[in-house]
Amino acid sequence: MDETRPIESILVADCGTVVTKLLLLERVETSYRFVAQAETLTTINPPWGDVSVGVIEAIEEIEQVTGRTLLSGSNLITPREGLTGVDAFVVILSAPEPLRLILAGLVREVSLESARRAAIATYSRIEAVLSREGRLQSPEETWARTVRDLAPDVIFLVGGVDGGATRPVMELADAIALGTSMMEESRRPHILYAGNDKLRPHITKLLGEITGVVVVDNVHPDADTEHLGPAQETLERIYIDERLSATPGVELLTTWSRMPLTPTAKAFGDVIEYLWTREGNPERGALGVDVGAASTTVAATFQGRLFVSVHGEHGTAYGPRLRVEQEGIAGLMRWLPEEMEEDDVLALLYNRELRPWTIPQEPRELWVEQAIIRETLRSALKSASATWDVRGVRQVPGLMPQLDPILVSGGGIVHLPRPGQTLLTVLDGLEPVGISTVFLDVNRTAPALGAIAKLKPLAATSALEAGALVSLGTIISPVGKARQGEPIMRMKITYEDSSTLDVEARYGEIEIWPLLPGQRAKLEIRPQRRFDVGLGPGRGGKVEALGGLVGLVVDGRGRPLDLPDDLEQRRKRLRRWIWDVGG
Amino acid sequence: MFLPYSIVNPLTLVRIVRELPRPGQVSVMEGDTLEPLHIVAQTTLPPNFSVINIAQELAVPPKKVKQALKVEVGDVVRKGHVVAARGGLSNRVCTAPFNGTITGFGRGRLLLEAQPQMLNLTALVPGRVTQVLPNKGAIIETLGAFIEGIWGNGKESYGVLRVVVRAARHPIRPKHIDASVQGAIVVGGARLDEETLTQAIEMQVRGIIVGGIPPALLPRLSEVDFPIIATEGIGNIPMSDVTFKLLRSLDGREAAICGQLRTRWGALRPYIVVPMPAQKGSPIDPESPLQIGTRVRALRAPNLGSSGEISDLPTGLIHLETGARLPGAQVNFGGEVAFVPFVNLERLL
Repeated sequence: MDETRPIESILVADCGTVVTKLLLLERVETSYRFVAQAETLTTINPPWGDVSVGVIEAIEEIEQVTGRTLLSGSNLITPREGLTGVDAFVVILSAPEPLRLILAGLVREVSLESARRAAIATYSRIEAVLSREGRLQSPEETWARTVRDLAPDVIFLVGGVDGGATRPVMELADAIALGTSMMEESRRPHILYAGNDKLRPHITKLLGEITGVVVVDNVHPDADTEHLGPAQETLERIYIDERLSATPGVELLTTWSRMPLTPTAKAFGDVIEYLWTREGNPERGALGVDVGAASTTVAATFQGRLFVSVHGEHGTAYGPRLRVEQEGIAGLMRWLPEEMEEDDVLALLYNRELRPWTIPQEPRELWVEQAIIRETLRSALKSASATWDVRGVRQVPGLMPQLDPILVSGGGIVHLPRPGQTLLTVLDGLEPVGISTVFLDVNRTAPALGAIAKLKPLAATSALEAGALVSLGTIISPVGKARQGEPIMRMKITYEDSSTLDVEARYGEIEIWPLLPGQRAKLEIRPQRRFDVGLGPGRGGKVEALGGLVGLVVDGRGRPLDLPDDLEQRRKRLRRWIWDVGG
Repeated sequence: MFLPYSIVNPLTLVRIVRELPRPGQVSVMEGDTLEPLHIVAQTTLPPNFSVINIAQELAVPPKKVKQALKVEVGDVVRKGHVVAARGGLSNRVCTAPFNGTITGFGRGRLLLEAQPQMLNLTALVPGRVTQVLPNKGAIIETLGAFIEGIWGNGKESYGVLRVVVRAARHPIRPKHIDASVQGAIVVGGARLDEETLTQAIEMQVRGIIVGGIPPALLPRLSEVDFPIIATEGIGNIPMSDVTFKLLRSLDGREAAICGQLRTRWGALRPYIVVPMPAQKGSPIDPESPLQIGTRVRALRAPNLGSSGEISDLPTGLIHLETGARLPGAQVNFGGEVAFVPFVNLERLL
């Protein structure tokens, strides 16, 4: 392929666990636009067992829609010649199984916590944690048995600051060596060592005779420092080599592409980093949540630092049942605005797991769907926020740091039938504070843009500026407590045509004022003394707001969101809020 | 978008993949004709093992443990056998916690491994080996009825089918499980309950096939040692008419049922195979176009589990009660016509 040839059309395949999406980006005059898209089931599983089958099916659909020829037989035509073929093809994947990990280390709150944070930066599932804590009768035997029986992809060994403790780490290494040596050679895991640097030669000697060992910088080189980068990069590389490259059917797709295979979470993170840079407000972060069937990716940028975490146990199809089994069903049931039997809700969770591509046809199933997304967002965010460094960002202690913009992506959430319901689900799931613009990735372009940015940055930024993401509106979420119905904020809205509107928001209610997509308005906000809209307690100011599918919204329910304990009152309140956002 | 499919077919060529859970030895060859109990492949399961910390138990330095040893690597020992002893006044000894072989020694510790257990993989389905999967197993082909389920408890068996209810919507009850179904695979209609399950265990049935299973019963089903398959899903769901009618027509025939289940990353579905003495079966065509008359099944409420035929394919998007607007089909569910979005439909092949 001629590398110097201008890239004017890019086809992106985004292969998720359940759905494969194809997007065609083209240069239209001076900017780049998404001109066609197609969606089909991901065909990684039987009866197809080949991810390229779904991709080809979706390309054929794009051919039908656009009237263009993109395929020659089962091969993509590159480069483009007139209306035939495309200039470039990019594949992003989240469909393969996550890496199966065992973490081994000394102290759960220190080195093991750092290992966990490093692990969740890529698609991984922690299957066991080996540590001295818990008073094991025969720790070496237990650890070795765990390693042998679980047969993970990677054992991630940490522990000891540089130059510090050696013996406890070597005990763990001994047990890992024993467990690993009892496995068939073909099933032996990679060992990733990121502990005390003094032990590197010993670990390499002991374990290197049995299996592959990768040594990287200590995740906790001293008591006050956490250093995750090298371990995160190694795990991502293993994921790409062991999982993405081994995906059945992917070899055909890579022959069409000049770009390496990219994990979807990484591509999504790149877009959030760009959005933060574009906003350029160091006192606020940018947040993106990609809610998928098998996992939820949370990407946040603060002060220019990107934090990406993938929460494998928090997908909307495969996570809720397990969570309910572990934590009970009350968390989910509290979001339902009408009565439903627990058994019916549980059955629905099982059936969604068996057929995750299906959608609710009845309102009661839709409420369950939205409850699942709320709980998924809340738990993924709780886990992700523990990995953030928000120094220098405005934050009321105990609440979310100020985030603007917020980008919401993922099939489960963007397919909700009404924008108001989508916004309400996001507000309940994320509980943003202050002033935020919420964007919806309606056509699931965000990860695609992240991948395209590596190939043609101008095309990605141009498509973003041309409206690839749809605004739901500007959300003002004052922090404070008051009595139900008490005024908490006054606001003067000045529209672009100079017309004005003086409005008041009340505690416990969600108020929406018109501000259409693409429109902007100037706001003069005057909160009550006890309320903070992100400008300081009782402090008002002038800000500009962007319109959206819902409009200009004040979420006057306070933070943290407080649901009434009384069942009937709670359901009444939930119904009211659904009504507030347009039913 | 692909419309997924399930196979519910009275006579077709069935291909069954029989694979070991871990590498092993395959004992059949291409072209072999197999019976259900024929062993296709074998593997050894990881044995129990124990790390005997001699240095700690005898309170001697690791370097001096060798002198205390009463066994060598490779020795076969029985439970209670003295593997190390410290002479003198203390007279401490270390014994083997179970029968096994000493397989390692180092740093003052012995490694004892029990006799590994063999895992035999049987054919389950009578038929002909068409492909050997080296170190894994084989693909077996047979002609017969084939029904894919949606949930299974992971067990498998072979036995005679006994349909014990009169209609697909009828739940299976304890009264249906009498001595006449002992050793049989019982086919019910709508659901299974705890009492019926207890009765089935007592009667030593070889399997249960129902439309739906209540979620509260699922944890118990993994403990049951015979296969249980739900054809439609979890909950109180009647078996689809198509599946029930086919199973009823097979009443009294021998069937292989496999409750395998994996929902992602190499997904596996449970299945029922009823071998038939035929020369030829109807081919399964996953590419067949969706048209009026195509057999389909609904995958979400309000028609979850119902099967019917497409009566119309309206163009454009249709409003659902939830507010969503989606493309779909009009389906005739045995006289009652309803709109179902494509995303909630599967073809029955």
